[in-house]
Amino acid sequence: MASTEIYRYLVLNNGQSIPVDPEGYLVDRTHWSLDVARILAKEASIQLDEEHWAVIEVVRDFYRQYEMAPAMRPLVKAVGKQLGAEKGRSIHLMRLFPGSPAKVVARIAGLPKPANCL
Amino acid sequence: MILHVVNQAPDAGRTLEQVLSAMADDDCLLLIEDGVVGAMPTLAALFTALEGRRYVLREDLESRGLLGRQPEGFAIVDIDGFVNLTEEAAKTVSWY
Amino acid sequence: MPYLEEQNGCSTKGDILLVLRHAPHGSSWLREGLDIALVGAAFDRDVSLLFMGEGVLALLSGQQAGALGQKGTHPTLQMLEMYDIDALFVEQRAMERYGLVQEDLILAPQGLEEAGMADLIKHHDLVLTF
Repeated sequence: MASTEIYRYLVLNNGQSIPVDPEGYLVDRTHWSLDVARILAKEASIQLDEEHWAVIEVVRDFYRQYEMAPAMRPLVKAVGKQLGAEKGRSIHLMRLFPGSPAKVVARIAGLPKPANCL
Repeated sequence: MILHVVNQAPDAGRTLEQVLSAMADDDCLLLIEDGVVGAMPTLAALFTALEGRRYVLREDLESRGLLGRQPEGFAIVDIDGFVNLTEEAAKTVSWY
Repeated sequence: MPYLEEQNGCSTKGDILLVLRHAPHGSSWLREGLDIALVGAAFDRDVSLLFMGEGVLALLSGQQAGALGQKGTHPTLQMLEMYDIDALFVEQRAMERYGLVQEDLILAPQGLEEAGMADLIKHHDLVLTF
């Protein structure tokens, strides 16, 4: 769930400070930008490439449409629908966003933590 | 047999009506908490289709001063009886 | 999604049935029921939904956020297909009670009469009402 607790700040190159919650999610998702995504990705030891950006865009679309970040099952389905069946596979998402892809990609995409991702 | 447990009074909303509409011919009904109000003689017509399959919880009747006002055909069970019913049932569905 | 042929039609067999009996916005009942549905689906359970009584209003098209910007439940309903929750049922009598027809709804649930509802309940391992 989205948290409003400010735990720390990300500092952008332009000096702007972006508050994040204890789990590293943005406190205010309107603060998201490509730079913010890069910093959040770096914290997860991920170097964003085209493949990552494509998935981030899918997840941000999903949120615009359904007002919720996807858990793993719908994430796989949404990526498959928009980027093709060979991309819509858990293994592909695990490779791009290691650990818990649904949570990691939501965080980098500036969205709240997926609510039903236990 | 499925045991349907209702804790709402007949006047509280449409819960009772909804349970009755979703019960199979071999399902049982147990009234608990405010639901026991349904087991008053003047409301018996609501349950005529459930002859032999309707129960009401003794403890909740007692606390409301309603014990002894039940029409024929309502079996009065205590908490142990409640537990026995849930054991006999394939599953229990609670309506509130 | 496994289906079981019945003499009186087609009854869905599943792991969890959520009976949704409350309209959107007035309380959190509907949202809580839908949350359980999503959690169940996230754990690969077969989830079915039965919209009963006022719950049918959850399916009405044209819903919006609340006056103070409170999120509605309609985006979640539209999201159900992404969780592969496609066993959707509606109490036919409630549809009639509110004067609704299929064209008024954002999804396409199967209408059920009383016997159909009893059958649906019978064929799910866990039945939760909200």
